[in-house]
Amino acid sequence: MLEAKFEEASLFKKVIDSFKDCVQLVNFNCSEHGIAAQAVDDSRVLLVSLSIGTESFQDFRCDRNVTLGADLSSLSKILRCGNNNDNLTLIADDTPDSLLLLFEDTKKDRISEYSLKLMDIDADFLDIEGMQYDTTITMPSAEFAKVVRDLNQLSDSLNILVTKDTVKFVAEGDIGSGSVIVKPHTDMDKPDDSVKVELDKPVDLTFGSKYLLDIIKGAGLSNQITIKLSSETPALFEFGLQSGYLQFFLAPKFNEEE
Amino acid sequence: MGIKGLNAIISEQVPGAIRKSEIKHFFGRKVAIDASMSLYQFLIAVRQQDGVQLASETGETTSHLMGIFYRTLRMIDNGIKPCYVFDGKPPVLKAHELAKRSTRRADTEKKLEEAIEEAEKLKHERRLVKVLPEHNDEAKKLLGLMGIPYIVAPCEAEAQCAELAKAGKVYAAASEDMDTLCYRTPFLLRHLTFSEAKKEPIQEINVEMVLEGLNLTIEQFIDLGIMLGCDYCESIRGVGPVTALKLIKEHKSLENIVAFIESGESNAKWKIPENWAYKEARDLFLKPDVLDASDINLKWTEPQEDALVEFMVKEKGFNEERVRTGIQRLRKGLKTGVQGRLDGFFKVRPKTQEQLATAAASAKAAKKKAPKGKVGKNKR
Repeated sequence: MLEAKFEEASLFKKVIDSFKDCVQLVNFNCSEHGIAAQAVDDSRVLLVSLSIGTESFQDFRCDRNVTLGADLSSLSKILRCGNNNDNLTLIADDTPDSLLLLFEDTKKDRISEYSLKLMDIDADFLDIEGMQYDTTITMPSAEFAKVVRDLNQLSDSLNILVTKDTVKFVAEGDIGSGSVIVKPHTDMDKPDDSVKVELDKPVDLTFGSKYLLDIIKGAGLSNQITIKLSSETPALFEFGLQSGYLQFFLAPKFNEEE
Repeated sequence: MGIKGLNAIISEQVPGAIRKSEIKHFFGRKVAIDASMSLYQFLIAVRQQDGVQLASETGETTSHLMGIFYRTLRMIDNGIKPCYVFDGKPPVLKAHELAKRSTRRADTEKKLEEAIEEAEKLKHERRLVKVLPEHNDEAKKLLGLMGIPYIVAPCEAEAQCAELAKAGKVYAAASEDMDTLCYRTPFLLRHLTFSEAKKEPIQEINVEMVLEGLNLTIEQFIDLGIMLGCDYCESIRGVGPVTALKLIKEHKSLENIVAFIESGESNAKWKIPENWAYKEARDLFLKPDVLDASDINLKWTEPQEDALVEFMVKEKGFNEERVRTGIQRLRKGLKTGVQGRLDGFFKVRPKTQEQLATAAASAKAAKKKAPKGKVGKNKR
């Protein structure tokens, strides 16, 4: 039996909206530690890994591990039916055919109940833990989102260059080129506005802008984004949750050598 | 052409092995395309509205050039790097099939003469379409000018495509022909050279999953193909797809099946063809005559603009502006870097005992047998 109650439906809604456009079918694995999910987009370039810890819930109960296979576009349709500050409870039995979503408006005493049909999704689980990275950048997620959106105007790829004291984003396209340089600094008053760079080795990586545009949809989840980079390996973009995280792993572009 | 009913068997028995996706998901992939089959397809399908083939002012057919040029551009636009493989000499065993085809042609020719109605005429005319050596030569010339690599296979093009894919030179072999599966290409792409307007998704068939799902070795799979009817030899009369699959699962090889039928215990209607060359056919699939992939270097180069305009516009009467924008698209496609994929970096985690148990439970609940090691079946 799974019973997971969010104090505000908006949290789950935001989480789902952050990755529903890049993957469609997702297995949510529920255990006593919370709800986790992993999915790869159809082109196998972007991987989404979600973990919602029990602390993020008002109440959480999961007696046996259950897997909920859901179509995200359907799930998001149902989530749109609830109000943002409703309580939301996810209910499923041990071998569920459907997931029950219960929205409770505490002020008005209104209860709405929806059920979502589940499906068996055959998906491989990729081992993403234990990766070593050369560089870790932490910066305000809104700022990163702006850089990605701005430079996307110029080119369909974005180059990220990290050296000792700068992070440089570069886009070169047909109409011209653009670059944004961000330097590490600490904001004592608003720590969330700080930029931090930990660097073992300088990196120079290029990513497809359309994937970055998908990733920044998660910017609403957290004030800060953590970006971990290594040459010629998938980069990690992480948004922290109160307990848990939403991670995106993105394979870089290569310049083909002859 | 192709193996009858194989697609139906696979989509019924191992639906998970066939993935349908849009062309854009294949960006960054290199593919080997069976050129001879594509040319044939273009000659049939690329036509004017009244159904007449495209031709230059001098009356030469240009449907194949149109097809090669624009369908290649479509792939390039989607980030796919194609290389074309042309047929060499047909294998000796195919002579029988080819002879059958030419009798059919003669038949159709006769019917065409007799046909009075316009629609009827067109139908027969399409059946008469044949890829001539000139078509091949022109296609090669065009590809060369476009900077797209091509290979002339010593024998069958599908076999060469599969060899390139097996060696990792390309991601997949692209052909409509299900024969290609028997050469054990890791992936087969179908419908890749279809027109954009058809909105047909691309079918990606994973051969290893097919073998695992059907629980057959590659030899048994080839035997199944032979029973269903391939180009190299006749099939057993009276044995359809369902029976063929049952027979190969029960008897494991064609040798045993032949023995079983000859023992007279089986259905008396089944007739094994005389001097049946199934062993030779199987060998052709297992050890096809191909160029070693390690000797092949595929290179995509700058299009030769002037020469291309000279050939396409002056000789073949194509619109100059369109050819020039096409060249721009080729250049652009060449320039963009290759998007990496996650597969190389992360290992697929083997399913835990727990997951297997839940999978078994849910499979039981669904009253379906879950394939080994998979979490249920996709109900999509």
